[in-house]
Amino acid sequence: MPTILAAAAVLMLAVLPVAAPWLQFVLTLAIAKGFAALGVAVLLRAGLISIGHAMFFAASAYGVAFLARAGVNDLGLLLILSVLAGALVGAVAGSFLVRYRAIFFAMLNLAVSMVFYALCAKLYGITGGTDGMPVPVPTVFGVVLGEPAFKSVLFYLSLGLMVFVGVAVQRYLNSPLGHALSAVHTNEIRLEYLGIPVWAVLLIAYVISAALAGLGGAIAGFAIGRVVPDFAFWTASGHLVLIAVLGGIGGVPGAFIGALFLELLHSAAVTVTDSWNLIVGMTLIIVIMFMPQGVYGLFARKEASSL
Amino acid sequence: MTFKGISTVVARCLSSLELLFSLDRGLPQSRFRLVVDGLVGAVAIGVVATTSVAAQEKPSALGLGIFTFTSGPAAAYGMPGKNAADLMIDEINAKGGIEGVPVSATYVDEAQGAQGVIAEYRRLAGDTKNQAMVAALSSANCLALAPLAEQLEVPTVGWNCDTHQLLIDGKSKYVFRPNGNTVPEFIAYAIYLLDRKPDVKTVAIINPDYAFGHDAAKIFTAALKALKPDIEIVAELYPKLGSPNYQTEISRLATARPDVVFSNLWGADLENFVRQAAPRGIFTSSQVTLALGETVLQRVPLPDGVIVGVLGDGWWMSPDAKANPETVKFAEAYKARFGEYPVFPAIKMANALIYLKAAYKAAMSKNDGKWPTRAELAEAMKGSKVATLTGTMQTRADNDGLVDQIVGVTVKTSAQQFPVIGDMVRYKGDSLMPQAGQDPLAWISTLKPEFARSLPKPGSYK
Repeated sequence: MPTILAAAAVLMLAVLPVAAPWLQFVLTLAIAKGFAALGVAVLLRAGLISIGHAMFFAASAYGVAFLARAGVNDLGLLLILSVLAGALVGAVAGSFLVRYRAIFFAMLNLAVSMVFYALCAKLYGITGGTDGMPVPVPTVFGVVLGEPAFKSVLFYLSLGLMVFVGVAVQRYLNSPLGHALSAVHTNEIRLEYLGIPVWAVLLIAYVISAALAGLGGAIAGFAIGRVVPDFAFWTASGHLVLIAVLGGIGGVPGAFIGALFLELLHSAAVTVTDSWNLIVGMTLIIVIMFMPQGVYGLFARKEASSL
Repeated sequence: MTFKGISTVVARCLSSLELLFSLDRGLPQSRFRLVVDGLVGAVAIGVVATTSVAAQEKPSALGLGIFTFTSGPAAAYGMPGKNAADLMIDEINAKGGIEGVPVSATYVDEAQGAQGVIAEYRRLAGDTKNQAMVAALSSANCLALAPLAEQLEVPTVGWNCDTHQLLIDGKSKYVFRPNGNTVPEFIAYAIYLLDRKPDVKTVAIINPDYAFGHDAAKIFTAALKALKPDIEIVAELYPKLGSPNYQTEISRLATARPDVVFSNLWGADLENFVRQAAPRGIFTSSQVTLALGETVLQRVPLPDGVIVGVLGDGWWMSPDAKANPETVKFAEAYKARFGEYPVFPAIKMANALIYLKAAYKAAMSKNDGKWPTRAELAEAMKGSKVATLTGTMQTRADNDGLVDQIVGVTVKTSAQQFPVIGDMVRYKGDSLMPQAGQDPLAWISTLKPEFARSLPKPGSYK
């Protein structure tokens, strides 16, 4: 049954932009952020909160912009290379960050990401400062597309990737390596005694989560058409944690549900009033107070009762 | 509208499936029914969303998307723009609207960042009721929206958009900036400064730490070096945007003791800087130049002799503005409604709306009185010359605007409680602009002192 529900939800997402074309951009962005939030959620399994994942999101987006400037102009190649760039930054940062736990992990992630942000904003001659860098429309397997056609391709590609990567991450979380994450959370010392290197478990998780954030960043870069340092700002990282918690970390769909919920809420709120921040904030408080398991928790609980 | 037909058919088919398979029995199916219902719902929402009014002869209302900062620190610059738009639209509607069609504006808050702004732009552009956009304030947002405007073919008037990068490729069909840009704006200050203080040797720059601040510093420095090569920049300080404390920077300025302090800080940043710098004697030890100084004249007591200006010609008390009864009326109405006289961002917005109104008039007279399409509206803006509240706005072939630049110094008068701008000069818009397609910085480095001597002198604009 959950599979049917998920399939229906994906179908619904696929149909929506046909009906309301402006939603396509919002949904693409939501899926992009969903990937990054999924990255955060993976680490949350191990009890590690990263308030710095926007760095990988931005690193990959800047990767796209730099590669495009260097003449790489194929969607597939750009996507793969930039995700690798995100993963590489993740491997470097992760190699020393995974030695820390709790607040120290959160704060160090924040610190490193803000260094990255400052570099993007200050290296004016290279990154264009706060005006950012343009991301041109790439070719898709050698086919030159107009911008509207490309945006549709991008949307359906992200939708497909959401399903594909979602399933892959689910498999990873259900594998011994994934279960080791919750073990780190409950009893790290016992894990070491069992002969499982915690450092390696966490580094792998960290690189995977950075790559996920990178995938999100690359998609967002293509969708927006411009990369700005704000992508890496700490509020963007906080936003990702919020999405992960909001959606619920019980399962992979949680991150995407959270992202869709927050983006659509944001879109609805800004059309009503200038005080859109107030509406978004109030809704978040309500969700967190009355749905401690996140929005995904609603579905999960229903399932349990119907058994 | 074929979409609507197809979607309705799909929705009908889906709901008939439900009847066909009698999906309303049993628990598992009931969930499946829920799914089908959801799909029908989604399609139905879509049908409603796409059923917008088709373009007609003369619409009942003209929708405009207006992008400005209405929250956050940048609202100090953005809100005067919104206020002016409110007032201007009320005035236009009181006279029967644009060519008989009342205007209704949707405001979009730029504080959401590029993502939110793009989402809103797409949403507004999707509705044919919204014929044009007035966007945007922030240069980063303008740069992000420009490709979108070309793609969606929506006439977009940059009411602020200072960056010289915006129209640099010269290929824009739908993006217009009836405004000056960073190049003429900051060259004007260099020329005025050298006219007023020809013996200047050392200059310090304190600008906000983002593209606008860095661009301005680069252009101002390049112009000074070209016009007086022996000038030395003794300090370049870039405090964070929105910083409340400038004591460190002021200490640097105090020890460097430059002849001139130049700044394009703005909004609350500028107010804070002035309040903190004045007691520490910066205004007496150096000739201070505040590029956006006019915006704080009514709020902080600036001493006499500070070089200030308006980035363009939008000074509501300029001789041209005072001679225009429309402008006087607008300024008084603005003061009555918002408790302050319109600072130059407000005038910029009002002028942008006048520009749009003139484009409609031109498009309709070319169209034998028929309501123009978006493309026809954009066509009418091409190369247009419009009389605004404070001067004229000439659109070049590359859609960039030529607007005069007013610079002066603060003086006290008996007419107002706050300092006003005196000893003014008004540089012609085209004299400070590189040719279309020319690299601005390369052009600036070719400027000669003779060029500056050929321009009007301080005090010549009375």
